[in-house]
Amino acid sequence: MPEPVFVLGGYQTDFARNWSKENKHISAMFNEVVQGALESTGIPPQDVEVGHVGNFAAELYTMQGHLGAFLIETDPAFSGLPTGRHEAACASGSIALLAASAEIEAGRYDLAMVVGVEQMKTVDSARGGDFLGTAAWYEREAAGVSFPFPKLFGRLGDEYEKRYGLKDEHLARISAINYANAKLNPLAQTRGWYMTEEHANSTDRFNSVIGGRIKISDCSQVTDGAICVFLASKKYAEKYAKARNLDINKIPQILGWGHHTAPLGFDEKVAESRDNPFVLPHTRQAIVDAFNRAKVADVWGIDAIETHDCFTTSEYMAIDHFGLTAPGKSWQAIEEGVIDLDGKLPINPSGGLIGTGHPVGGTGVRQVLDAFRQVTNTAGGYQVEGAKKVATLNIGGSGTTSCVFVVGNE
Amino acid sequence: MVTTEALPALRLKKVVVLGANGAMGAGSAALFAAGGCQVTLVARETSKAEAALAQMQGITKSEVVTNGVECATYDDLPRLMDGVDLIFEALAEDMALKRDIFAKVDAVRPPDAFVATVSSGLSIVAMCEGRSDGFKQHFAGIHLYNPPHVMTGVEVIPHPDMPRDVVDQLSDILARRFGRQVVLCADMPAFAGNRIGFKVLNEVAKLAEVHGVQLMDTLVGPYTGRAMAPLATVDLVGWDVHKAIVDNVAANVQDECPGAFELPAYMQKLIEKGHLGDKTPATGGFYVRMTRDGKAFTEVLEPATLKYVPLGPALKIPFVEEIKYLNRAGRYREGMAKFMAAEGDHADIARKVILGYISYSLNRAGAGEVVETYADADRIMTSGFNWAPASGLADLIGVQKTIDALKRYDLAVPALLDAAARGDVPTPLFNLPFVTPRRYLAG
Repeated sequence: MPEPVFVLGGYQTDFARNWSKENKHISAMFNEVVQGALESTGIPPQDVEVGHVGNFAAELYTMQGHLGAFLIETDPAFSGLPTGRHEAACASGSIALLAASAEIEAGRYDLAMVVGVEQMKTVDSARGGDFLGTAAWYEREAAGVSFPFPKLFGRLGDEYEKRYGLKDEHLARISAINYANAKLNPLAQTRGWYMTEEHANSTDRFNSVIGGRIKISDCSQVTDGAICVFLASKKYAEKYAKARNLDINKIPQILGWGHHTAPLGFDEKVAESRDNPFVLPHTRQAIVDAFNRAKVADVWGIDAIETHDCFTTSEYMAIDHFGLTAPGKSWQAIEEGVIDLDGKLPINPSGGLIGTGHPVGGTGVRQVLDAFRQVTNTAGGYQVEGAKKVATLNIGGSGTTSCVFVVGNE
Repeated sequence: MVTTEALPALRLKKVVVLGANGAMGAGSAALFAAGGCQVTLVARETSKAEAALAQMQGITKSEVVTNGVECATYDDLPRLMDGVDLIFEALAEDMALKRDIFAKVDAVRPPDAFVATVSSGLSIVAMCEGRSDGFKQHFAGIHLYNPPHVMTGVEVIPHPDMPRDVVDQLSDILARRFGRQVVLCADMPAFAGNRIGFKVLNEVAKLAEVHGVQLMDTLVGPYTGRAMAPLATVDLVGWDVHKAIVDNVAANVQDECPGAFELPAYMQKLIEKGHLGDKTPATGGFYVRMTRDGKAFTEVLEPATLKYVPLGPALKIPFVEEIKYLNRAGRYREGMAKFMAAEGDHADIARKVILGYISYSLNRAGAGEVVETYADADRIMTSGFNWAPASGLADLIGVQKTIDALKRYDLAVPALLDAAARGDVPTPLFNLPFVTPRRYLAG
């Protein structure tokens, strides 16, 4: 049996901040998020044994690579700390978490620090959209295409329409729920923005089409954000709990994980899944694997989900892939209020990528931090009452890399 | 004596905005509409009220937000009172004008309707002189900051006759439904934010007379904990507004900083010539943006001569550059240590302004002052001004070092800092959840 992996909490920067306007370098994001995490957990920096960074494209957005080394800058005690950086497009944060948790499971280290970070407001939206195109097969799918990703995820919606039928009003409802939840999240990028279902259903100069069936209200945000969480072995978690007079059994663990990669091109994905009830079968398999490892029979053993709604169509996909409905029937869960904050199985109580924001390489870490907040009853205004087990789904590319975690108590 | 039973639970469903065509009128109307209120816009002419619709759409980035919004004139007031929950006044900052409209409102308002003013500092009690008891019990200042969709701070200044539980309900609804950072203020000139903020802005304006505009905006620039340099800020808000605020405080307040709110004579002279800042682009204020032969450039005021001269390249002051370099990498504590240790006249000028801000801000809390706790001052300076909070700056400097420096500059040491130095108050002092003072210290 591998060592269990405990989640000790962490810190998230305010996703509404524009660090370029503050004239800040990405190193400032590292400094603030790590210092914030050390302060909020009370973990002495000298206890940290390894550091992992999830980041998608700092080389493009900030002309800066070698991000693991920036962890060393964040505290004098980190001099010499082994570090590295992980990249899998929008799933980069989850890959960093997987690497850190594998090291804990293997007994290599007792305390790992995982930082997810992306600084995106350094460039205008067209140039940023082009950078994001490198998460697809750039030459084939993105070169010379303005905003390639909305178009790719618009096609995900089109595939649903072809196979099962899809109404845009259900996508609008997904958007409105995420924005409404984000209003309860004091660190959400859109907490002060205006959004209603009526607006999400409108197609006017303020809600124009970005690509295919994707309108502005269907999109997640361009976000500057950094997140830090600490993962620990049982040995360190016991020490941590004892020092704080906590019950070790109430410290959340990563109960299960799933990780699969599909072909990079969207056409190839669709061709591969032609005869499968699931449009993205590898995403489905990552969910099934995580549930199996967590010994969760099905999605109803989960109390809330933080999913990857880079566009409303990806959340629509997540609903049936998680098994809330039969394949192709995600609309039922939307219509019946199942995914509402006070529903039977809330999705994205935080506001998700649409409401909270989407610092690309940081999102997977943010999702796990939000899962931690939920199962420790510290999510404040967006707390799902009595949440014991929370699942995350983090996707890189057009459904290419899928990572799932189940966080909670045994 | 008003009892809670006499007043219904506060609800804000139907809101009538008076003076809806101004920036604060339209901005407030957008906030209420986005919060789900049924909004009526009132201006002198219907066409002016209708112009506010486009402003509301631009602010919320939505066309549907104005669905169902009615536009009307003051003649329609009696008709608009049916079922109204809040009459929100956003007219010009003119006491006579406000009193006049409130007399009209008093005559027609339903007994349970609330009335509020968005005034940024005029006396709430004076505004209600001659009004009915019921009007006073339902009256409060709701000072939103401009623009409300960006600045989330709001000062609530209840008329003394408003029952405390109603004040609490009002504050709660502004926080929960409208996402505001609420600060309860006493009815004192300029309330909290503008009192603290314009004391600093006026001080910098005075120093500019000796040291120049560009140097002062560099020395007290964004690296000291603000989104925008001070004199550029005065240009943005308008010299007329600046004058109205400082004159009101100078005439009606006595505190530990006598003379701090005296408008510099050069500003008075230029205001008389129509220099009101960005709102008068032809004449400008501290800065004026010009175009000659198709080329855009900026000129800067020389306060001593009242002349404008071409703005040179950004000033590179060594200690300022070093601090910006540290802030840019998120090394704020080291940046602040450098700020406190830097030598020379320039560093002295900058330090005195910032320490003066810490002193003045923390001294505005407590019995007989404008806010109850120093956290309230922190809250309004962060969410209303985009300035680093005084307590957060003191944390970065260190409590004892802050006290020592205040004494060195002959500035009043706030009781809070003495208490913290004794260990009677926990540190760090800054304690607002989900806000970090670090974000205001620009690189």
